[in-house]
Amino acid sequence: MAKKKYLLGFSPDIVNEAIVYRLVKDYDLKINILRAEVRELGGRLLMEVEGKAANIKEAAGYLNEAKVDVQELATYVEKNEERCTHCGMCISICPVEALIMERPSWKVRYDSEKCIACGMCIDACPPGAIKFRI
Amino acid sequence: MKRTVEEINQKIRDGDVVVMTAEEVASYVQSEGVERAAKEVDVVTTGTFGAMCSSGAFLNFGHSEPPIRMQKVTLNDVPAYTGIAAVDAYIGATELKLDDHKEYGGAHVIEELVSGKAVRLKASSDGTDCYPRKEIDTFVSLHSMNQAYLFNPRNAYQNYAAGTNSSERTLYTYMGKLLQNYGNITYSSAGQLSPLLKDPSLRTIGIGTRIFLGGGTGYVAWEGTQFRTNVETKFGAPVGGARSLATVGDLRGMSPEFVRALNLPGYGVSLGMGVGVPIPVLDEDVMRAAALSDEQLFAPLIDYSVQSRNRRPIKHLSYAELRSGRVELFGKEVRTSSLSSYLKARQIAETLAERIENGEFLLTEPVAQLPSDRSVGTLEVRSREEAV
Ligand code: SF4
Ligand code: SF4
Repeated sequence: MAKKKYLLGFSPDIVNEAIVYRLVKDYDLKINILRAEVRELGGRLLMEVEGKAANIKEAAGYLNEAKVDVQELATYVEKNEERCTHCGMCISICPVEALIMERPSWKVRYDSEKCIACGMCIDACPPGAIKFRI
Repeated sequence: MKRTVEEINQKIRDGDVVVMTAEEVASYVQSEGVERAAKEVDVVTTGTFGAMCSSGAFLNFGHSEPPIRMQKVTLNDVPAYTGIAAVDAYIGATELKLDDHKEYGGAHVIEELVSGKAVRLKASSDGTDCYPRKEIDTFVSLHSMNQAYLFNPRNAYQNYAAGTNSSERTLYTYMGKLLQNYGNITYSSAGQLSPLLKDPSLRTIGIGTRIFLGGGTGYVAWEGTQFRTNVETKFGAPVGGARSLATVGDLRGMSPEFVRALNLPGYGVSLGMGVGVPIPVLDEDVMRAAALSDEQLFAPLIDYSVQSRNRRPIKHLSYAELRSGRVELFGKEVRTSSLSSYLKARQIAETLAERIENGEFLLTEPVAQLPSDRSVGTLEVRSREEAV
């Protein structure tokens, strides 16, 4: 079983395609939608996909054919290490504890594996060290 | 055991001074006792790095040809106060850029200057016989200006209330983002490393005390604004906002590591300042206070959804509890966040210790003590007669 995070981009003409349904039904994937936006210029879908590695690969092929812009994400938000003061303001804000105060170094570590891209930490960070990658 | 500042300075010059950070000494005293620690350690260094809104810099730009008597000044479109001499100005940390949505302000200008960058200076004037010029649009930097020094009316607050929020919506405050229904707790003091908590009655800190300021060297200029002494204490240290310092120091020699623009969304811009104060161990009493640990230092917890200056603390929390990351509140576990950086506080105390050990930083005797009896008044809507 593999687990990957993808950002999908749709142009307006394919916003109505039942893409998630197809991914579940045809490729037997478990989908966790982390963020969804639909705008005039199309839509964006941030999701976590779990399933057989081969199926994920095939599904990506299907999406490409369907003219969906597929981007695999290693991380959701980025913490600028130069800007971060390691204050820890973000710690109690993150709902999934993806921002961790390490002891005894008192450095704040961002764990991209845990992050669900909710964005809560972004406007909580006083020096503006955290930004969406997408 | 007694020693004087002069004796300590002699040891610094001779290269055999013993310095410990306030964090190190807290555990040293727990294992070895106050008596032994006081005998062995000459200086305890402290540090804090947090949002200090009451900060800003005096600048002198030099005269242009023909000269101008500046009446309106902006730096990167952030207004600076210029109701002083012709080419002098004061840029306050929290001043916001004109037409900006609260994201860029005086603190950013100060950080850019400290980073060695040039900032855009625009000034205008009505023009006078001796200062005929009416406008100037140019760039200035630390290199081009005659003087550029921080003068911060209130830094290094001696303790500060922790915040939480009982209401149904997220609050954006100067204590950071406070989640609804007691969703989190934020605090801002460096606790056992915090300068004024380690010499609670300011026996050794006063006007003229040489300090670490923003990465460079600074001095205590005066009592900080809202300085007060009539605060409840535990183990001799105040359990709420009490004393503070007005500080001064050259921007040249400071570092953006310790002078950092901050943006508290929904509140505004502030300046993250690093301040460190060395405490000469004159006797055992000084050591006893300097060695207070996070278990012995407390902050009141305030509900920020109550919009009144008369908020009563929900309870008092030790810095050990706050720093543990989780606190129990009304039977529920609530996560905590610090607004100030303990890592940077520690780096400041360590840097200061190194400078002292290397003989680069001598200690000072206060030129004058700060007040020992001060309370803080309030602002009322009153008549001219009532005000006097
Ligand atoms: S709030 Fe920002 S500066 Fe503070 S630890 Fe988190 S990422 Fe770093
Ligand atoms: S985006 Fe959300 S989940 Fe990710 S680190 Fe920030 S607060 Fe945590």
